[in-house]
Amino acid sequence: MAKNKKIKTDPKNHVYIGSKAFDVFLIIFMLFLSIIFLYPFLHVVAVSLSSNRMIVSGQVTFYPKELFLGGYQMLFKEEDILLGYWNTIVVAILSTAFTLVLNSLLAYVMMIPDFVFQKPISIFLMITMFFGGGTVPMYILIRNLGLYDTWWAVILPGAVSAYNVFVYRAYFKGISLEIREAARIDGAGEFSILTMIYAPLSKALYATFGLFSVVGVWNGYFDFMLYIHDPKKRTIQLVLREIASNTSDMADTQQMISSGLMNQLNVKYAGVIATIAPILLIYPFLQKYFGQGMQVGAVKG
Amino acid sequence: MTKKSKAAVPAASAGKKKKSSLNAEKRKKFLLKVWKQKTLLLMAFVPVMFVVVFNYIPMYGILIAFKDYKASKGVWGSDWLNPIWKNFEVFFKNVNSGRVIWNTFKLGILQVLFTFPAPIAFAILLNELKGNTYKRVVQTISYIPHFVSVVVICTLLNGFGSLNGLFNDVRDFLGMARVDMNNGATYFYPMYIGSAVWQTVGWGSIIYLSALSNVDTSLYDVANIDGANRWEKIKNIVFPTILPTTTILLIMNMGGILNTGFTKVLLMQNNTNRSALDTLGTFTYQKGIVEGRFAYSTAVGLFVAVVNFVMVYATNAITRKINSENSMW
Repeated sequence: MAKNKKIKTDPKNHVYIGSKAFDVFLIIFMLFLSIIFLYPFLHVVAVSLSSNRMIVSGQVTFYPKELFLGGYQMLFKEEDILLGYWNTIVVAILSTAFTLVLNSLLAYVMMIPDFVFQKPISIFLMITMFFGGGTVPMYILIRNLGLYDTWWAVILPGAVSAYNVFVYRAYFKGISLEIREAARIDGAGEFSILTMIYAPLSKALYATFGLFSVVGVWNGYFDFMLYIHDPKKRTIQLVLREIASNTSDMADTQQMISSGLMNQLNVKYAGVIATIAPILLIYPFLQKYFGQGMQVGAVKG
Repeated sequence: MTKKSKAAVPAASAGKKKKSSLNAEKRKKFLLKVWKQKTLLLMAFVPVMFVVVFNYIPMYGILIAFKDYKASKGVWGSDWLNPIWKNFEVFFKNVNSGRVIWNTFKLGILQVLFTFPAPIAFAILLNELKGNTYKRVVQTISYIPHFVSVVVICTLLNGFGSLNGLFNDVRDFLGMARVDMNNGATYFYPMYIGSAVWQTVGWGSIIYLSALSNVDTSLYDVANIDGANRWEKIKNIVFPTILPTTTILLIMNMGGILNTGFTKVLLMQNNTNRSALDTLGTFTYQKGIVEGRFAYSTAVGLFVAVVNFVMVYATNAITRKINSENSMW
C-alpha cells in the first residue's frame, strides 16, 4: 500500500511520467483532430472567395487569396437559391408540425395504463421497426395516392414513426399521472389534457424532435429527388445538386468559367456554403438538443 | 342424421351456455370500456391510419415481386409469375449480379470496419483527456461534420478530388503528382470511407461517452489504490462499461451492411466509374425507378431485406454464444 501511494506522488516514477506524457500527447492529438474536422469548412469558404488564378495554382489554404465575389454573385443571379430556401422552410414547417402533432397524439394514448388497445398497437408499431416495403412499393403508393411531384410525398410518409412514438411515450411517462387524474376530476377531456398539460411540459422533447425534423428536411435528398421534379418546388439540396452536377445550365457562369474569369469551384463551393450556413447558424441549438435526443433514444427507446 | 345432431346439441351446449354468457358479459364490459375511451380511440385513429397507409401498404406491395405487375390491374389483380420466383431467377442469372452483390458487401464491410471502431476509440481518448473545457470544445467541433448533408459531402469530395482541389493540394505538398480522383473507381473507396469516418467519429462517440459518464467513480478510486496504470484502468473499467452498447450497435450495424450509403454511391457515380461502383441499392434504383421494372426491382429489394435480417440474426446468435447478456434478444 505504501508503495502504491508513492506511485501517485513520486514524479520520478515511470508510470506517472508515462501518464503525463500520454496527457500531453492527447492534448496535441485532439487539437490535430479538431483541425481535421474544421479545416475543410475553412478551405471551402476560402476557395469560394478566391480568384481563379490562385485556385488553379493551388495556393488557397484556409483564407481567401485575391478576394473574388463572382461565385456568390452568379449563384444568386442564376440559380434559384432563394426559392430553394423558401421551399425548404415551408416543407420543414409543415413536416415538423405533422410529426410533432401526430406522434404526440398516439404517444399520449399509448401512455395511458388502461388503454384498451395498448398491446395490439404496440405490436402493430413494433413490426414497422423491423420490416418495410422498400423503395419501389413506396414509390408506387405515392404515385397511386396522387402525391407525386407534391411536397406531401416527402412530408406524410415519415410523419408517424414507431421509434418516435416510443420515445415520446417514454417522455410522457416521466410526467406524473396524478396531474392527469386531477385534471380529469376537474372535468378536462383527454385532448385538452394533452394540449394544456402534457404539451407545455414537454418543451425539451419538442425542441429536440422539432430540430430533428427541420434538419432532416434541410439535409434531405433521396425522397426529394425521387418525388419532386418541378423546378419551382425544389428544396435546397436539389438546387445544390443541380449546381454541383450541371453547371452548364447556367449560361453566364459557364462562359465566365471557360474564359478563365472564374473557377468551377467558386460556384460549387459558394453553393455548399449557402447550403450549410443556415445549419451552422443554428448549430449551438443543434448540439444541445441533438445530444440530449441521442441520449433519450439510447436509454429509453 | 340431422335429427341426431340436433338432439345432441342442446345436451352438449348446456355447459357451454354458462361459458358463453360469461363471455358475453366480458364482451359487454370490454365494449363499455371501448365506449368510455372513445376520445382516446379518436385521437389514436389518424396516426394509426398513417402507419397503415405508409408502412403496411408498402409491405403488402412487396407481393409484386412475385407478380407480373401491371399498374392498371393493381397489386392483387396482377397475375402471379410462372414460376413464382421468376424475378429472383432472372436476377441471379444476370451476369452482373455477382459483381453488384460483391460490390455491396465490400463497401458495407469496409464501412463497418472503419466507421464502427473509430467513435469508440475517439470516445475512450476523449474520456482520458484532462480539462473539461477543452474536452467540451473538442466534442462540439467533432459533431459538426455530422450535420453536413450527403449532397454537400459529395459536392465537397468532387471538388476536393478535382485537379485544383484540396486533396490534390495535399498530394502536391507531399511531392506527389496531381490526379483527377473523380475519374475512375481507384480513389472512390478512400474518399467514400474517409468521409464517412470524418462524419461519424464525433457524433457516434456520444452514446459511448454517455455510457462512460455513468461509471461509478469509486471504481477509479479503487483502481488507484491498487496502483493500476492508465491502460489497466481502461482495460478493466472502460471496456466492460461500453461493451453492452458496443455489441448492440454492432448487431445493428451488421443489419444495415447491404444498405450502406446508397444515396452517397448514387451521387458519387459518374460515367467513368458507374459500372465499377454499382451496388444493390443503386441497382434497384436503376431498374425500378429509372427503367420502370417495378416487380423485378422489388424482388431485388426483398432479397436485400432478407439478407439484412439474416445478418442481424447471425450476429446476434454469435454474440449470444459468447456472452448472452449482451445480445439483443
